[in-house]
Amino acid sequence: RSNIRAFSSKETVTITYCDPDGTEHPVEAEIGKHLLDVAHDNNIELEGACGGELACSTCHLVFEEEVYDTLPPKSDEEEDMLDLAFELTETSRLGCQIRVVKEFDGIKVRIPDDGY
Amino acid sequence: NNNDDVNNDNKPRLSVAVVGAGPAGFYASKYLTSSVLKRITQSTSSGDDDDDTHSTPFGFSGIDIDLIERLPTPYGLVRYGVAPDHPEVKNVENDFAALFNKQGESQNSSINFYGNVDVGKQIPLSKLQSLYDVVILAYGCQAADKRLNIPGEDTLEGVLSAREFVAWYNGHPEFQHIGPIVERCLWKKKSNTTNDDDITETSISPARVVVIGQGNVALDVARVLAKGKPGLIDTDTPTSVLNVLKGGVSHVSVVGRRGHVQGAFTIKELRELTKLDKEGHNVSFVVRKEELEMGMTDASMEELKGPGGRPKSRIDKLLQDNAVEEDAQSTDAEKSVEIRFLLNPTQLAPHESNLSKVGHVLCERTRLEGDPGKQRPVGTGEMEELPADLVLVSIGYRGMPLEGMEELDFFDSSSSTVVNEHGKLPGENNLFVTGWIKRGPTGIIGTNIMDAKDTVKSVMNYLETSVPVAGVESQGRDGLNDHLGAHDVKVVDWNQFLRIVSAEIDTTRLRSEAQPREKILAVSEMLNAAQR
Ligand SMILES: Cc1cc2nc3c(=O)[nH]c(=O)nc-3n(C[C@H](O)[C@H](O)[C@H](O)COP(=O)(O)OP(=O)(O)OC[C@H]3O[C@@H](n4cnc5c(N)ncnc54)[C@H](O)[C@@H]3O)c2cc1C
Ligand code: FES
Repeated sequence: RSNIRAFSSKETVTITYCDPDGTEHPVEAEIGKHLLDVAHDNNIELEGACGGELACSTCHLVFEEEVYDTLPPKSDEEEDMLDLAFELTETSRLGCQIRVVKEFDGIKVRIPDDGY
Repeated sequence: NNNDDVNNDNKPRLSVAVVGAGPAGFYASKYLTSSVLKRITQSTSSGDDDDDTHSTPFGFSGIDIDLIERLPTPYGLVRYGVAPDHPEVKNVENDFAALFNKQGESQNSSINFYGNVDVGKQIPLSKLQSLYDVVILAYGCQAADKRLNIPGEDTLEGVLSAREFVAWYNGHPEFQHIGPIVERCLWKKKSNTTNDDDITETSISPARVVVIGQGNVALDVARVLAKGKPGLIDTDTPTSVLNVLKGGVSHVSVVGRRGHVQGAFTIKELRELTKLDKEGHNVSFVVRKEELEMGMTDASMEELKGPGGRPKSRIDKLLQDNAVEEDAQSTDAEKSVEIRFLLNPTQLAPHESNLSKVGHVLCERTRLEGDPGKQRPVGTGEMEELPADLVLVSIGYRGMPLEGMEELDFFDSSSSTVVNEHGKLPGENNLFVTGWIKRGPTGIIGTNIMDAKDTVKSVMNYLETSVPVAGVESQGRDGLNDHLGAHDVKVVDWNQFLRIVSAEIDTTRLRSEAQPREKILAVSEMLNAAQR
């Protein structure tokens, strides 16, 4: 950890992406970056078909309830896309709309199971 | 390590032909490549540690995919279906192109594009089957439409399918003959009173357009017609199309036989219509309170509450918030899009003064009957006549078999899809299917992801359990090149496609800095650009 800090001027926190099959991928996430971009930087299999433009819902992520409650509110447009998301849960958000904040250190986000 | 390399060198690479370069073909290529590469790593890493859970050998040392597409351009309906004012949806093209841009990252995989190659016409499916270990059909449902089966559908000028209309406004090279038909319907000259000079680039067409069907495609065509040139100028709508649409159409009705709770559209597209006026498009959105009330049967209420009711409830609320009493003037916008529920078109009737042209859509008022989730529209006998200068039938695309497929019992004509179980065709063959031609023409781009994963899983399973049957010739890419060479097919490869792209974004072609590209509308011209 301290080594990574030493080489990068950017502040990061550790978050863990969980694959549908349960595999966990802890990564260093730069504060301020969108969770979709963090996933792509780390070769995690999360689609982002529209490139973060709120037009696809393929970047769907499921949060832990305590974390979900701290997230900034959803726009109508994000709600509209979530309506089309597969396996929608009470704590679902779109990965391209959520930026990493300091408080995310240690959290887990789940990539929903699309059945395959 | 050394041992593995030796091992792998003796193994063949998996050769795969994918038919159709739309979302389904791209996602299948992407996931099959990653699954095969993962599997190869697992089979070779076993010697390095004591963990032998994945040590079963795998028959292949790599994967070569040939993505075969009948048009010179890839991306299927993303290029020729998705509305031009939804560039953010078309962004997925970047994601697909990355598959080619990342070529060479792994020695163990490759992908080639074979554009301008029509499977069935220029190479028989049976030939592909004998050349490749695996053939994946991903050719979509763009060749035909579902039908209304009502009088006037085939005989009157001015009746088009939304599929043809959409392909035209997106610049599909095979649908440019639609333009003059639309032009005659929107801009018929009123004998002596109007002359051509009165019609300017931004004139609003007085025509009435009736769109039959209530899916997202219907909402797309209504929006595009209403926006016209001013609203589409900064998109990649071809200039020739804008010259026909001009200032847009004054009155578009989108008609469906069911109620608003059963509509097939999604909220994003609906919300867009409600905002057209606010966003300066001079288009009001009209939905009638009475029709929403008529659709609110007890069963509809249950549907709103039931599982999966969340999207429907939000649509219901959006419509209720925008509903007006009949005859109420909502805004002073010059154009309107009206959405009409519980009206079943029973006949397309000719125009009084020109019997070969459409003039009206005759509709019967329906009411909903049946249990929640199974309500059906039933005729009430009450009729309504909607004037129409142009009718766009938008009740669904329909899959067709490839040449030679019907005889083999591979095509189910009742569902218009390729017969399959989790993407594997029945019987002893190396055929798989994915996307619209597998599940029918429904779902968003993202739906093709799960669909492709399902098919890829079946392919992987097949590779583990059967000796690939390709056999007879099995020369993969070399064999394809030989065949196409012998038949003088002008293949467009990926680099040549990129030349077409460069030609389309050449600033001398663009009408403004904001226009993303001016599409080339003829295959011959695309082929010229590809050679440059
Ligand atoms: C008008 C319209 C608008 C849409 N808008 C949206 C939207 O905004 N957002 C969204 O998420 N989804 C949208 N969709 C849905 C989305 O486009 C589809 O889910 C998706 O394109 C289906 O992918 P596919 O690959 O199965 O078919 P297609 O996209 O049709 O691709 C099939 C490809 O196969 C090729 N092909 C056909 N026959 C042959 C042959 N014989 N040999 C070789 N190649 C062949 C075709 O030319 C085509 O390129 C829209 C669909 C339509 C019709
Ligand atoms: S990437 Fe498309 S909505 Fe997030």
